[in-house]
Amino acid sequence: QEVDMEAQADGIRTVFNDPSNFNVKHPLFSPWTLWFDSPATKGRNMPQTPVSAFPQTPIPQTPGVQAAQGWMEDIKRVISFDSVEEFWGLYNNIIPPSQLPQKANYYLFKEGIIPAWEDEANKHGGKWSIQLPKDKNRGNVDKMWMYTMLAAIGETFDPSPTLGDGSAAASLITGVIVSTRPQFYRISIWTRLAPSGSDEDAALRERIEGVGRHFKTSVLGYPESARLAGPLATEVEFLSHKDSEKKGKAKKIIV
Amino acid sequence: GPLDLSGAKAPANIAAAQATALATARVIADINTVQYPEGVQSPRPELNEGAKDGKFRYDRDFLLQFMSICKEKPAMLPPLEAIGLESADQAGHHHMSRTSSGR
Repeated sequence: QEVDMEAQADGIRTVFNDPSNFNVKHPLFSPWTLWFDSPATKGRNMPQTPVSAFPQTPIPQTPGVQAAQGWMEDIKRVISFDSVEEFWGLYNNIIPPSQLPQKANYYLFKEGIIPAWEDEANKHGGKWSIQLPKDKNRGNVDKMWMYTMLAAIGETFDPSPTLGDGSAAASLITGVIVSTRPQFYRISIWTRLAPSGSDEDAALRERIEGVGRHFKTSVLGYPESARLAGPLATEVEFLSHKDSEKKGKAKKIIV
Repeated sequence: GPLDLSGAKAPANIAAAQATALATARVIADINTVQYPEGVQSPRPELNEGAKDGKFRYDRDFLLQFMSICKEKPAMLPPLEAIGLESADQAGHHHMSRTSSGR
């Protein structure tokens, strides 16, 4: 059997061994879908192209998705991918956040989860986010967003994604978003769950805070002790989607 | 001096071959047995202890190694201009030509 394994290993050619004739690719922990919207996409229908050249994955029609239909109307599905190699092919052929028009958003979500609160995977969750003044961060935002995507697809935001039943659903992360606005950028990490603040949720709270700390220090590159709030800038802060809906004062977690 | 071609696009024949390879490549079954060429680092092993069913995790430094190699435009990528996914400059340019097409 050892001989078999060796023979098999010898037959493996990665993209590093042979960029034009590799025979294996690196699967991602989960397949992902990139979505996009900007003022220019509003009311615009997808172009008429042969179905074979441009297949659309139908969006699952769960009750949550139906409720989000107004919100989703102008958000265009760009593409899905499930390997490291395909991610970079996509990355190298689209523009980075610093070049996006104003009021545009990239949404990178796990396949089958739409970038809306109403989705079953999001409705009990929340988001870590940071707002960065545009003038000071034009030169940083592209790298920050790339690192955010890499932590998402590499599944390193949450140190224990396979606790529990070992399925992808055990991972806390559902998607990541970058938004461009006239005065600032915002990067967000959406989570499947949000701690309630009760004692029973202490373990979940700790896990959520771990995601926030990883985001702040490893992904965004700030010291853990750094205070970031200022004009047009926020701390790295967590808010449940339920509290976001309420507007007004809500309990935020800050790392 | 010699031309700096480090930022140049891969020749078309490599790009086409890469698309074919991507379409036919199979998924790595056991990430811990893959041998990478010298100079390429493996994913941090502690990320994939007991990993199965292709559910692998990858650290950033590992992932960044693919950036300059995997440049092939995905076959399924829609025309970006059609969904407004273009920089402000490009958008202005297309807008001019679009108005003249009667839309």
